[in-house]
Amino acid sequence: MATVEVRELRKQFDPPGGVLAVDGVSFAIEKGEIFSLLGPNGAGKSTTISMLSCLLRPSGGDAHVDGHSISADPQAVKEAIGVVPQDIALYPDMSARENLVFWGKMYGLGGAELQSRVDEVLELITLVDRQKDRIEKYSGGMKRRVNIGVALLHRPKVLFLDEPTVGIDPQSRRSILDGILALRDAGMTILYTTHYMAEAQELSDRIGIIDHGKMVALGTHGELVKIVGEEAHVTLRVDHDLLAMVDSWARVDGVNRAIIDEEQAVLFVHDANEVLPRLFETAAAAGSRITEVSVTEPNLEMVFLHLTGHALRE
Amino acid sequence: MSRIFAIAFKDLRSTMRNLPALAMMLLAPLALAALLGFAFGGGQSFSIAATKVVVANADEGLSGPAASADRPAAGALVVGALNSPEIADILDVSEAPSAAEARKRVDDGTDVVAIVIPAGFSDAIYGTGAATGTTVELYENPTQGIGGDITESIVGQTLLTFNGARAAAAAASGLASTGGQAGPADELAQRAAAQYIQEGGAAARVAVSQRPPQLPQESQGKDVGVTGVILAGMMVFFLFFGASNVARTILDEDQAGTLPRLFTTPTPRRTILGGKFTSVFLTVTLQALILLLAGRVIFGIDWGGLDVVAALTLVAAAVASGLALLVISLVRTPAQAGAIGAGVYLVLALLGGNFVGTAATSTGTYATIQKLTPNGWLLRGWDTAMRGGSLADIGLNLMVPLLFALVFFVVAVWRFRKRYA
Repeated sequence: MATVEVRELRKQFDPPGGVLAVDGVSFAIEKGEIFSLLGPNGAGKSTTISMLSCLLRPSGGDAHVDGHSISADPQAVKEAIGVVPQDIALYPDMSARENLVFWGKMYGLGGAELQSRVDEVLELITLVDRQKDRIEKYSGGMKRRVNIGVALLHRPKVLFLDEPTVGIDPQSRRSILDGILALRDAGMTILYTTHYMAEAQELSDRIGIIDHGKMVALGTHGELVKIVGEEAHVTLRVDHDLLAMVDSWARVDGVNRAIIDEEQAVLFVHDANEVLPRLFETAAAAGSRITEVSVTEPNLEMVFLHLTGHALRE
Repeated sequence: MSRIFAIAFKDLRSTMRNLPALAMMLLAPLALAALLGFAFGGGQSFSIAATKVVVANADEGLSGPAASADRPAAGALVVGALNSPEIADILDVSEAPSAAEARKRVDDGTDVVAIVIPAGFSDAIYGTGAATGTTVELYENPTQGIGGDITESIVGQTLLTFNGARAAAAAASGLASTGGQAGPADELAQRAAAQYIQEGGAAARVAVSQRPPQLPQESQGKDVGVTGVILAGMMVFFLFFGASNVARTILDEDQAGTLPRLFTTPTPRRTILGGKFTSVFLTVTLQALILLLAGRVIFGIDWGGLDVVAALTLVAAAVASGLALLVISLVRTPAQAGAIGAGVYLVLALLGGNFVGTAATSTGTYATIQKLTPNGWLLRGWDTAMRGGSLADIGLNLMVPLLFALVFFVVAVWRFRKRYA
């Protein structure tokens, strides 16, 4: 049995007729794996994590975490998981150490074990020197680190991270991503939600693409990219007569498809390096001047666009 | 249990670090008690300050053949009446050499009322002078209100005595003329007036008794200082706000995300909410203890026996906590909690007598209305405690508020369980 198994999970707010935030989502996460839920804002990622965290009761379906049902045995689930919420959920008028000690007590730790574990976590999040400063004095990146540290206090078997890098600087983001990879290497099972394609691509062993509450695709990065057929996108702008140029380019050898998108030509090709020179020749012959050109190799953005018809970013 | 106290102490620590909240919980009631206590006489029983009165007595008594030992100067009698020991608490009387000086002292605010007894006052009273009437002038500062009215009343009552004497003199004179009694009519009238003044006037001497308010049996005992009554009222009132401040953190934490995060930990929800409830109770108990101690040290208030004080403190804390949690359970946002809570606490305080003290409102319709509020019962209990009452004396004053607190808690728990199911 996988460490996390989700079967047809559903959540409808204010039934009947209310918003169906999660509509029959299923996936599994193996031990020691990083599984990302990738989707735009409002896709149902946070609602899914809330249900798995036993914060929201599912409207249908079930999930098992470390062998325990979220519906039947939420207490055991909570003991097995650590949750890093999207927003900073710390007490700003308390120091980092005070926060960790308090949350450790809420996770059932106490005494010398708690103090020792707090020391370890402070080392892990590299905030030993600032442990006595109040959270309200921390930078955004430091707060995020403490936010993650709280979830690690009780050595959970599964870690849920809900968009932990939103709104922080690139350096802090890099630090957090490195930390997550280190946790995975140490054997932690991780569910990570994000709307950043690059994060999902870098971190994940497997990715689930979610949109409007439904899982639209699931697999490794390579498997997902194959959905769009390993085609590259060549995007071009011309100085005039775009429609005629797209018509011409569609007949060029190596171009599979050509469409117009927001006043630019988007060509789906197998090998961009081979096709590009022919595209320029065709434009020159037609008397058109290419003002802009870009090549995008197959990625999750394209997969999302292909599957849902709209972009991942809003 | 340890997690309940962990949550409670976490909130208590936050409150101790919140200076504006501490100022409202501790400084505001002490400051109000000090100011209002000073305004009402600086710690003594509720009383009206003595009115400063200056008398200018131009009357030199009867002169000539009419003067005699049994016909004292009427002006001096008026001054004597004003200096009567029975009204020493009401009038603070001094004398001025002239009417102009007396009026000047009123004009410059030294005195509230000037009483000008004109020359020839005795002649007019005894009927020996040419004038058939006389006027005692009251020159008063109209902005002083009740002091001038009291003085006027006392002077008027005193003058009635002399009007009685004049009536007696006229009657005597009339009787003499119709009854054929020998002797000059003037002499008869003067003797009648003198006799009336000495006998009837003495009997009708101005007497004002200042009685304390009629208190129920259980409230009689030691005198309760005005500052103590006020601080008791302020303490209970600000306990409501102290409790509200802590209870509102439930909504604050809900919005900030720490409450949902708490719900994702293995700590059961009932433990989390129990911790929040405990933090409210502990905080207001501490608030009450500090105010009681401050009242004792700063104002010298004797709150009563230790057992009585402890019981009243714990019940007051329970009422404040229960009420605050009930209000929080009924609203959605911290802003709503602030606005609605303030309204509820103010109405309860007005109805319960937190601003007027039970000593002044023990009877009548208002007393009945007070009994509809938990704080009204508590204030009566504090009143009894400060008068030396025992636990047995305040049984109802503990049980009834405790019942209120229980109802508040039950409804609050039901609402929270629904919301955070």
